[in-house]
Order: sequence, then C-alpha cells, then structure tokens
Amino acid sequence: MNQGLRSCLTNLHIIFIPVLAILSTGGCDKAGVSDSNQMVIYSALSSKVRGLDPADIGDTTSSSVASQIFESLYQYHYLKRPYQLIPQLAESMPQVSDDGLTYRIKIKKGVYFADDECFENGEGRELVAEDFIYSWKRIADINLRSKNWWIFDGRIVGLDEFREYTKTCEDSEDVDYTRRVEGLYAPDKYTLVIKLKKPWHQIKYLLAHLPTAAVAKEAVEYYGKDIINHPVGTGPYKLKTWHRGSYIDLVKNPDFHKEFYPTEGEKGDKAKGLLKDAGKRLPLNERIVMMIVQETPPYWFLFLKGKFDVSGIPKDNFSEAIDQRGTLTEKMEKLGIKLKTFRDPSTYWLGFNMEDEVLGNNKPLRQAISCAVDKRKYIELFTNNRGETAHGFIPPLMKAYNPEIKNFTATNYNPKKAKRLVEEAEKIHGGELPELTLSAPGTDVTSRQRGEFLQRCLNRVGLKVKINYMDWPTFQNKVKSKSAQMFMLGWVGDYPDAENFLQLFYSKNESPGPNNFNYSNPEFDKIYEKARIMRDCPERTKLYRKAEEIVLRDYPAVFIMHGVAYILQHDWLHNYKPHAFGYGLAKYRRVDTGRRQQYEGLFETLK
Amino acid sequence: MIAYIIRRLLYTIPIVFGVLLVTFLLFNVIGGDRAAQIAGKSASKETIEEIRHEYGWDKPLFLSWDSQFIDHLEDAITFDFGRSYMDKEPVIDKIKRGILPSLSITLPMFFGTVIISVSISLIVAFFRGTLLDVSVVILCVAGMSLPFLSFILFGQYFLAYKWGFFPVFYWLDLSVFEYAALPVMIGIAAGLGANVRFYRTVMLDELGNDYVRTAFAKGLTTKRILFKHVLKNAMIPILTRVVLAIPFLFLGSLLLERFFGIPGLGYLMVEAIGSRDLKIINAMTYIGAILFVVFNLITDICYSLVDPRVTFE
Repeated sequence: MNQGLRSCLTNLHIIFIPVLAILSTGGCDKAGVSDSNQMVIYSALSSKVRGLDPADIGDTTSSSVASQIFESLYQYHYLKRPYQLIPQLAESMPQVSDDGLTYRIKIKKGVYFADDECFENGEGRELVAEDFIYSWKRIADINLRSKNWWIFDGRIVGLDEFREYTKTCEDSEDVDYTRRVEGLYAPDKYTLVIKLKKPWHQIKYLLAHLPTAAVAKEAVEYYGKDIINHPVGTGPYKLKTWHRGSYIDLVKNPDFHKEFYPTEGEKGDKAKGLLKDAGKRLPLNERIVMMIVQETPPYWFLFLKGKFDVSGIPKDNFSEAIDQRGTLTEKMEKLGIKLKTFRDPSTYWLGFNMEDEVLGNNKPLRQAISCAVDKRKYIELFTNNRGETAHGFIPPLMKAYNPEIKNFTATNYNPKKAKRLVEEAEKIHGGELPELTLSAPGTDVTSRQRGEFLQRCLNRVGLKVKINYMDWPTFQNKVKSKSAQMFMLGWVGDYPDAENFLQLFYSKNESPGPNNFNYSNPEFDKIYEKARIMRDCPERTKLYRKAEEIVLRDYPAVFIMHGVAYILQHDWLHNYKPHAFGYGLAKYRRVDTGRRQQYEGLFETLK
Repeated sequence: MIAYIIRRLLYTIPIVFGVLLVTFLLFNVIGGDRAAQIAGKSASKETIEEIRHEYGWDKPLFLSWDSQFIDHLEDAITFDFGRSYMDKEPVIDKIKRGILPSLSITLPMFFGTVIISVSISLIVAFFRGTLLDVSVVILCVAGMSLPFLSFILFGQYFLAYKWGFFPVFYWLDLSVFEYAALPVMIGIAAGLGANVRFYRTVMLDELGNDYVRTAFAKGLTTKRILFKHVLKNAMIPILTRVVLAIPFLFLGSLLLERFFGIPGLGYLMVEAIGSRDLKIINAMTYIGAILFVVFNLITDICYSLVDPRVTFE
C-alpha cells in the first residue's frame, strides 16, 4: 500500500483506516428513499480512487474498491482469528516442495470473468492458470511502471530477466507476454507452478494481496491504457458507474462463482449473530455505492444522518461519541449505534537516521530521546487514547509479538534518566549537543501540535530541537535521500507475519528502500536472513523476537504506539466484523432495510 | 486597436514562459522525489532508479536539448499534457470533466456576488453616514474578518445537517440545483463583505463628483442618476475587478468543492500539488496563465467601450 496513505499520519489512520477497511452504509435523503427496499451498501472513501487496475494499485482507497471486483488466489477467513488464509480462486492451499522453492497451485474450475465487451460476444470467459502468469508479468513490465514490483522483485526464477527484457520495448504493447519465464508456468489449464529463487514463505500472504489478482488479457488489450477505468474481474461485483471524484457504483456480478458465508468462526461469533447467514451464497447484498468524502465534518454528519452504516470517529467528534469511561455516549446509544474496536497492525515511531553523525554515533543520545517522549500522553492527546503504548515494533496483533517486551524498560518514559543520558551523550559528542532537527509530515494544525509536543518533551531533558513541517512528497524525499535527522513515521503491516516489520531494519533495505533508519547490524541481518526463509514454527518466532530485541538495544527509533481502531456501526448492518487485513468484505454484509428506513425518524426526534 | 491587441498578445509569450519556468522550478528543484512515491511502499533502490529513468527524471533539468525543462515546454506548447503521474488518466480528460462542476458553483457565485454587492453598495453609498450605511459597513468588516471555512462549517452544520434545508453533500441522484444551492449561497455570503466595501468606495467616489450635484440640481430622479450616470461612470473599477475574476471561475473553489463533494478543478489542483503531479499542475497553471492574460486584454478593450476617453495608443 502507498506508504503516504498508510503509514504516516496517526490522525488519518484513526479516522480513515476503519472506514477504508470496512464498507459502510448510508444514503442522502433522496437516495435513501429511492434505495430503501434494495439491499445496498453505502460506503465512504477518504480519497479519490486512482485507478482500478490491480497491477498498478498502490493506495488503500483504490484497493478497497478494486477488491470487490477482482479476486486473488487466496483470501483471509472472514471470521476466524488469528487471521487465517483460505482459498479464493485457488482450489486448495498450495503444495510446497520440501525445499520450499516450488509452489503448485490448483485453480478452481468454472470461475468466469464478468461479462464485458472486451470478450467475444461480450461473455466472460473461464479463468485459467495462464491468467495469473499474464497478470504477474504485467507487474514486471517496466513500461507499466507498476507500484507493486516490490512484491516479486528478486523472488521468482526468470521474472527479473523478463523485466530486463521489457526495458528494451518501447511500450507495453510491444512486450511479448508469451515469452517464457522459467519460474512461472501452467502445466495444464488449471495448474499454476511458481519456482522461487530462494524460500519465501510469506508468498502465500502476497497471493492474497489484491495486486496479484487475475486480470483478463482480453480486457488489457481491448482497453489499452484505459484499463484503469475498466475493471473486468471474477469477483462478486462489477462496475456500473464511476463518477470520478464523486462516487463509484458497483452492482452484483450475476455470474459470480459459488462462494458461501462461513459456517464457523471464532468463539463468541455465534452469540454475536455473526453466523446467522452461515452457508448462504455470497454476496449477501445487491449493490455497493461508495461516496468520496475527504473532509471529516460532512463525513461525520452523513454518518449521523444515517447515510453511512459504519464510521471511524473523527478526532474532533470523539467526545460526542465516546464518554470518559471509553463507552458510547447516551446519544449514540439512543441512535442504536454500536461501538467496535480492534487492533490494527500498525506501529508509529519517531525514527533516527543512523547515518547521521550526531545521532548515529551516540547511543546514549538516542536512548535519552527514547526516555524523554511521554508516549502515554502522546496517545491521549493525539488519538483520544486509541492506541497502545509500543515497547517494540512488532504489533500485538502479530503472532510473533513478544508479551515480555514490556519488560524492556530501557526506553520507558523517564525524564530524569533522560537528562542523565543527555549528559553522557554530551561527553561522547565532546561538548554541547547541537540543535537536532525533526522532520514532520504534514503542515496542518494537528501535525504542528504533534511536533510541538515532541519538541517540548525533548526540551525538558535539555535537548534543543527544531521541527521542520513539510508535505508528504517533500518529507518522503527527505527521508529517502537520508537527509532527515529524525522523522515521524510508521508502518501498517501488509500481512500477519512479523517479517513485514523486520524487513524495515534489514541493512540491504536502506533508504530509498523501506529501511528509513538506515539501520545496519550484522547480527540482526544474520538472524533476519535465516528467519525469513523459514516456515512458520516456534523457532522462527524465537528468531523474530530475538531480532526485535537486537534492534531495541540499538535505539534506532522511539516506538510510540500501536493503533487501535474504533468503529461505529448502525444497527441495521449485519455480519460486520472488523478485519485488519481484509479487503473485499462487502460480500459478507447484509442490510436490514426496514431498520434503515426507521432511522430517519429516530434521528429527527433525537437530533 | 488591432496593433494593440497583437502587441498585447505577444506579451503573453514571456508571461507564460515565466509561469512555466516558475512552476517547473518549484516542483523540480524544491519539490520531492516522485519516483519513490510511484515505485511503491517497499520498492528497492534499483526499482526507484528504474522508475526515474522511465519517466525521464534522470535527465538534466536544464542546459541540454534533451532536458526535463525542454520536455516541459514541449508539452505546454503542443497542449499535450500527457497522463497524470498518479492515476495515469489523460490530464485533459480530468480538466474537461472538472470544468462543469466547478462552473456550476463559481458562475452563480460570481453573478450573485456581483449583482448583490453592486446593488447594496449603490444603496448604502447613497445613504452614506446613516444607520443603514454604518450597519452594512460593520457587517462587511465582520464578514471579511471571518475565515471562509467558518462560513462553510456554519452553513453545512446548521442549514444542512441540523435544519435539513439542503443536502449535506453531493449525492448520486441530486440535481445540480440541489447540490450546488448551499455552496453557492455560502460563496456569495462569504464574498459580500469585501465586494460591498470595494464597490461602496467606488460609488462614494462617483457620488462626490460635480456631475452628480448638477444632475440633482437639474431635477433628475435619484434612480436615473444612480443607475444611468453613477453606475456607468463607476464601470471601470467594476470591470477591472469583474473581468479579472473570470479566469478564476474556471479554476474552481477548493474548499467548497472539498466540503460539498463537487469534483471540480479546484479540488483537482490541490490534490495534484499534494501528490506532486506536475503534469496536472503544469496544465492548470498554463491554462490559468493564458486565461488571465486573455481576460486582462478583454478588460482593457472593455474600458474603451464604457469610457470613450480611453484610447489604444
């Protein structure tokens, strides 16, 4: 996902990650009436949809739309926790060779692309294994300039060579997609074989990732560069209208293959009514309308008016929704609104550039800064307590999360200790420490308040800090070019494997790669290289934890918080269960249209 | 007059060149690295370099026939604005699509503001020094002091959300009259303060002239003096303000468009700046600059129509 959208601003994550992850419901006065008897899901999108070509999608908003139309080989079980992968277009989980290098995947038979004029007679054809090979070669095609090449970069035998070949072509249209890639082939119509350069057990998660979804060659050839506007997938919905910048209207795909609502979930799901539709054919609704609402006041008003089913809570409206005990206010309860919370796979930090002369060579200084930041206060002030204090960088949601990490007290908030460490740091530096510079993404009021808070924390222990506020592209340039001394950033996990977080500290991933700290520790690298090719087992978990401890002892960042999402939901929406990694979940949702109609009167009475 | 027009049109070339140069400098020399954004979250250094090369961002900025600035100029001269970096949609399609939604609010706002503010200013100028005049001036200063955002939040909260007179936001089956009504009203209300004050000053200057006293002495009706003589003579400053505002109508209204979900050009421009989409920024500033120069020329020509003393020498 686009780092700008997913990783930087905690206030945005609080409001929009829940909204993006979960489709919501609503309708303006007029639309609400006209659709009152239809099973329609109304959804809010926090930014414009950039395109609907899976190969080139790099932002959460576009993903949340495209994932209703396209399908991947695997998907996450909707109800089970911890998060578990199940087949989507694959018939079963992959057969993996003993050396972990070859994956054999059977594709479901009888799955058809949605009808579209790009096909002969306008009728969608059957999905075959070759469709995946074609789709992934597109990601490798340099002419497409895909945002998702990082998924396959250096992974599949022959695919890097294919990318090199595409560099010799003028345009995508000149690329010979039938050119053989040794590590990607289909021995028969319904079998896909992937050969890896080295073991990569996280591939299964990436095969559940939208960019690896199957795209029809006919559609790409027919629509050319306009394929971004013409999604043709195998999913439960198809595009009806895309009014760019305003809304997207999706309708049920009548040819959607047989998929059913799960018949089992985790403990307690039955009591919550989440299994009432068990075994029913998906999707459970007929249409999805997604409105683009980028400002929080209209977004909140629309939710309260009953136009959206589900909403995050804007920071400024938090006290209107949640009382001091952390439960719903009386007003929300009277409106029949329910609160759901869940951990999201994120960690936010104040990072250090380890190549910086002042910070990189001065461990006590980095520790002093870590002890100077009042994380609890930060969470309270800027997230309305919607966060957990971070002790490490692996979020509690991950299986590899180490509960003992709380005992690592070296970076606990302790201004007195920080002052002592500053004195020690000055000795190492050989005199008074120079003014430090913190680069902050965002120039809005909240960003400035956040910067001022951190500045105050550091000033209190005797450190001088200058805050540079900048827009996201400038900030990214600063970090990627290694010219930011300290920076505020974060990471939202792409899949439930802590490797996704550990890679951020791998020396070979230094900026402009994802290791923005430019952290380098041979001991860490060795463990990371060993662990990342291991299957999921207790030994790997131990190695992950050990690697985390190594990083923590070097203080390359102040790990501030892990996100907790607060979701408000109207009572007419059924089968809603928060999901940290799920996209394309609208198919499970059911709407009680009668309740929705009654709400308008209730709102008028109570407002 | 034709020679004057040709001369003025020739002045357009250095102005537009300057605009293109400044835009290019701002977003290439000072701005961020677009390649890292496009390459994706976990892209390697090599992938970022590849993207940079594919887009030609590894070429020299200036001082070469194969430089980025020459490409930039070429795109502008040929009106080939290419495809947006962020979503690869043709820029011209984005602009075409954004014009009508933008005009649907800026045009009524523009006419509404001009008509209402000129009318109010004529009346209060005539009743100068009375309670009415003082009250209007106070209201104007208050209106000017309030941020535009306050008008939007107030209007959206009370008129739409609380009292339900208007829709809170653009919706699928709303007609343009329904979804544009509230933003237009807010735009007019927010613009009245500054406009009424300006036109009032213009009118007062005119009302103090000898010809007005002469007209009253000759027994002309107040209506005839105000609307036939005073208004006509006040046309030059009014024209300057009005005609020069027209190019901005095409550029849309950022805040109103964002808060009411109107997919216009203001919205497009700010998103493009935020994401460093130089293709869109280039196209919009280029079109904006040309419109501004053209309407400047139209203003000058209109001077001669409303005031025979103005000649093109």
